[in-house]
Amino acid sequence: MTELWQRYRRNKGAVVGLTVLAFIVVLAGIAPLLFPASPWEMAGAPFQRPFGEFLLGTDMLGRNVLAGIVHGARVSLMVGVVSTFVAVTLGLALGALAGYFGGVIDDALMRFTEFFQTIPSFVFAIVLVAIFRPSIASIVAAIAIVSWPPVARLVRGEFLSLRRREFVQAAVVVGESHLRIILGQILPNALSPVIVMASLMIASAILLESALSFLGLGDPNLMSWGYMIGASRSVMRQAWWMSTFPGIAIFLTVLALNLVGEGLSDAMNPRLARKGRT
Amino acid sequence: MGRLDFVARRLLKSVAILLAIVVMNFLLIRLAPGDPASVIAGEAGAADEKFISQLREQFGLDKPLTTQLAIYVGGVVRFDLGWSYRNQRSVADMVGERLPATLLLTVTAFMLALGVGVGLGVLAATRVGTWADSLVTVAALGFYATPLFWVGLMAILLFSVNLGWVPAFGMQTLGVQMTGAARVLDVAHHLILPALTLAVFFVAIYARLTRASMLEVQDMDFVRTARAKGLAPARILRAHTLRNAILPVITFAGIQAGQLVGGSIVIETVFAWPGIGRLAFEALLQRDYNLLLGVFFLTSVMVIAFNLVTDLVYSLVDPRIEVGS
Amino acid sequence: MTEALLSVRGLTIDLPPGSDRPHAVEDISFDLFENEILCLVGESGSGKSLTAAAVMGLLPQPSVRPSAGQLLFEGRNLLELDEDEWRTLRGRRFGMIFQEPMTALNPVMRVSNQILEVLEAHGEPGGPERVMELLNAVNLPDPEHLKSAYPHHLSGGQRQRVMIAIALALRPTILIADEPTTALDVTTQAQILALIRQLQSERQMGVLFITHDFGVVAEIADRVAVMQHGRIVELGTKDQVLEHPRHDYTQRLIRAVPTLDPPERRPLDRVQTVLSVKGLGKTYRTQGGLFRPRRVVAAAKNVTLSIRKGETLGLVGESGSGKTTVGRCIIRLIDSDAGRIDFHGVDLNAFRGRALRPYRKRVQMIFQDPFGSLNPRHRVGEIISAGPIAFGTSKTEAMKRAQELLQLVGLDPTVVDRYPHEFSGGQRQRIGIARALALQPDLLIADEPVSALDVSVQAQVLDLLADIKRRLNLSMLFITHDLRVAAQVCDRVAVMYQGEIVEQGSTGELFRHPTHPYTRALLDSIPGRHWRARA
Repeated sequence: MTELWQRYRRNKGAVVGLTVLAFIVVLAGIAPLLFPASPWEMAGAPFQRPFGEFLLGTDMLGRNVLAGIVHGARVSLMVGVVSTFVAVTLGLALGALAGYFGGVIDDALMRFTEFFQTIPSFVFAIVLVAIFRPSIASIVAAIAIVSWPPVARLVRGEFLSLRRREFVQAAVVVGESHLRIILGQILPNALSPVIVMASLMIASAILLESALSFLGLGDPNLMSWGYMIGASRSVMRQAWWMSTFPGIAIFLTVLALNLVGEGLSDAMNPRLARKGRT
Repeated sequence: MGRLDFVARRLLKSVAILLAIVVMNFLLIRLAPGDPASVIAGEAGAADEKFISQLREQFGLDKPLTTQLAIYVGGVVRFDLGWSYRNQRSVADMVGERLPATLLLTVTAFMLALGVGVGLGVLAATRVGTWADSLVTVAALGFYATPLFWVGLMAILLFSVNLGWVPAFGMQTLGVQMTGAARVLDVAHHLILPALTLAVFFVAIYARLTRASMLEVQDMDFVRTARAKGLAPARILRAHTLRNAILPVITFAGIQAGQLVGGSIVIETVFAWPGIGRLAFEALLQRDYNLLLGVFFLTSVMVIAFNLVTDLVYSLVDPRIEVGS
Repeated sequence: MTEALLSVRGLTIDLPPGSDRPHAVEDISFDLFENEILCLVGESGSGKSLTAAAVMGLLPQPSVRPSAGQLLFEGRNLLELDEDEWRTLRGRRFGMIFQEPMTALNPVMRVSNQILEVLEAHGEPGGPERVMELLNAVNLPDPEHLKSAYPHHLSGGQRQRVMIAIALALRPTILIADEPTTALDVTTQAQILALIRQLQSERQMGVLFITHDFGVVAEIADRVAVMQHGRIVELGTKDQVLEHPRHDYTQRLIRAVPTLDPPERRPLDRVQTVLSVKGLGKTYRTQGGLFRPRRVVAAAKNVTLSIRKGETLGLVGESGSGKTTVGRCIIRLIDSDAGRIDFHGVDLNAFRGRALRPYRKRVQMIFQDPFGSLNPRHRVGEIISAGPIAFGTSKTEAMKRAQELLQLVGLDPTVVDRYPHEFSGGQRQRIGIARALALQPDLLIADEPVSALDVSVQAQVLDLLADIKRRLNLSMLFITHDLRVAAQVCDRVAVMYQGEIVEQGSTGELFRHPTHPYTRALLDSIPGRHWRARA
């Protein structure tokens, strides 16, 4: 573990990413303390420019943009983490089964996966959220449903190749059960690329959520960055700050997550990391 | 022989996926909360009882599910994607007339993304560690983290509102009748901003991928062989490194096709580009689910077609395809 | 002697900081003359391959770079050349062939173009006709057909011939061959060695031949340089080095090479049979397509063999002969589709899944790859005790047993808490043996257990296996491609070819009087078969 951190630390970008991410997480955590009032409530005069009474200005209804961003962070992170967790769990289960047992099971599961990978994911997410009514649950579910196939393919590939490794065959030969082999022998060796992928998936889930709420498919009860940008479109010419700051929030969060993902990837595959970084 | 087999397989698979999408579309309507008839009509909870029962009869909703499915699939096969009650028009007609605009936008963006992305990736990989490499890497990382719609809005603010270089909305100048070259130029002028915005995210993806792939191939034994032959660096780069490094990029381009089409929805919404993405947004506003599903079906067809083309290209550039994938 | 083609003087190559030693190669000097083959021989990590790369200007700079010495060629010090000057030498004056024929050719370029390319790069006229000449010169079959072939259409041996054609296209003065036959089967190896020999003497080339195999040295060398830890410890004619080695390390290496004379063995006729395999078959089918017929490959056909208590049966053959398939069918890692596997009179093929468990612990396996056969995330103790624990032994009991086993295989019992990456290849193989013994099996299946090891380590592991086998009176199926090893460890040998056992008999009999033509071909291909290493 300490060794992992040693290697992670070598990637400066990853350390910056982790710091930024920690800051955002803390901000999201203490949002109710910082801005106890609902972010939907009027806080002052509408269309106030930033760096005046309010740090990031107010919108056309006099709502505090900063309060919206801080509360939006909660939604973004929550959607990102939960949907990724669901998608990774699903992908791990299907990929492990397909890769370990192979044959007909593999064929069937991979056809299934391929189908979900082929259909255009964003459009599918829109359809799902629209038909099942926009809510935090339908958004998380829709993002998870369109995000799991790459995990399944990755895990399957890892399992397929690890399955053939001699240490796994040795486990078969000494009489270990399938479950033990899957969980004890193969999974620990397949996990590091999955962890890397998961950190990148949280980032793309946040992007996806923001795009959905930009199109008006956000949870109507929750403030989110995408909604703020979508709502500001009609007044873009008068109030640039309304769309600019939530966008920067998305950008920083997603960038930080991607940097962390790269750092993890470098730390977990030291051999690959040396390439391209000399 | 092998290549023919490969393509035939892919074709069969595409047809199967298409069929599965049709079935899923059918199921989605039935799974949706509320009466399917009202969902189809886009009148969820709003229409009167008589209208709904009339619809139910029309769609055969009183018949068994399998019969309904057969009717639905039969319709799709005849390019009947249903009726938009909101617009009082056939869904197929509506998406059909919007298709060319979307194709223009996505194909332009795709070419741009692939060309520029691969170029930047090669540039970065051949100059690892230099400022050019760092610039490409950092820019790619940045654009990879930026939501498309926000890039679009910022581009409008900067290039249309502040600088006034390019038009921000629509596909052609309104109120002016143009023909021939003038019209082409006008459309091209309108295309610049949305196509660039859509491309920029994918430029980032392809640049990163190409760079990584190039670096990987550079370490391979056959590149060492090429050096041992005394070949010129440019020849090694072109005939050996790039020629092999491009293969995963092509595969990935196929996989990314869906993302590109999805991105066009957001971009068309931001730039009021009159394609099917914009149509999807309108359908959302009107809660016209039948129209939305029509868009979903058509974009799926686009993605499948796109995948087929990339598979075909792949089979042409990788001779090993005949051994079986 | 005439003047040297190439003189290496005091060459030192630095390793990147943080490596286990500062120099890959330290202050080495040697000459390469016209019309000779100089073998650079050594174990892994001796620096022999980096020396070859340095002579070719192909060191993976900047991480590894020459820091001292000279490479003198036609009055110039090659270490002072820039990349453009190097380019005029590579391909034209120096040709090189590499170890891995499977990866050394560009997979998406026709092989004829890969040959043509080197002609064009150096402005050589002739074009396609020269390519045909070259394909003929390296004895490739049907050169006309090869014009449109890609590397994946060719076998490993054929690809290596293409590599030789590329290396020799411009009649270079010097050929550098880096383990060119290591990845090949023994019969193919014999052909490639003969080809290199023939082309070398036709063209009077100087060949720098890198190898780890003293048999190959005996087969092909004029002079030999022995490397150890980056230094040349002995340099002389083949006769001097092989027959009268002076340096201690050379002597040890040569002693470790198994001889082809099987030792006398006690007959086991009256002892009970442990394993009896009858008519075993395994067929692989590749999925066909609409426009492609499905392919059927019989990996094992009607295989019949038996092993007695305390006996070692060698299963020898080249890659693809089916020997590994047979081993895995017996231990039921794969299901065979015909025949019986009688183990103490019970047909194992009648059981599946959990019903097989009682037999699992009685038949155990030792694997080939010392790096791949131990789970990198498990401690040594866990690895060895996994089997007993799966069979219900308590954890403390199993751990205690693991420590005893470590002692048995010659390792310190305290290493149970270490991870596999902290061990060398030979030590890992010992851990693998301990794991196989943990369940107290009657029968061991050893699949190429020493193929991945250096020759000196190989000898130690073989000694250990022999010792354990004797002490525990174990039976063993020993799968190997290496006939020298088979001659030393096996009581009887079965020769496999294309899925079938073509000949089977006592080791002494089979090595002295082979009857099947394939067995004879195999024995004739062993490099250095006429050379008898001194014990």
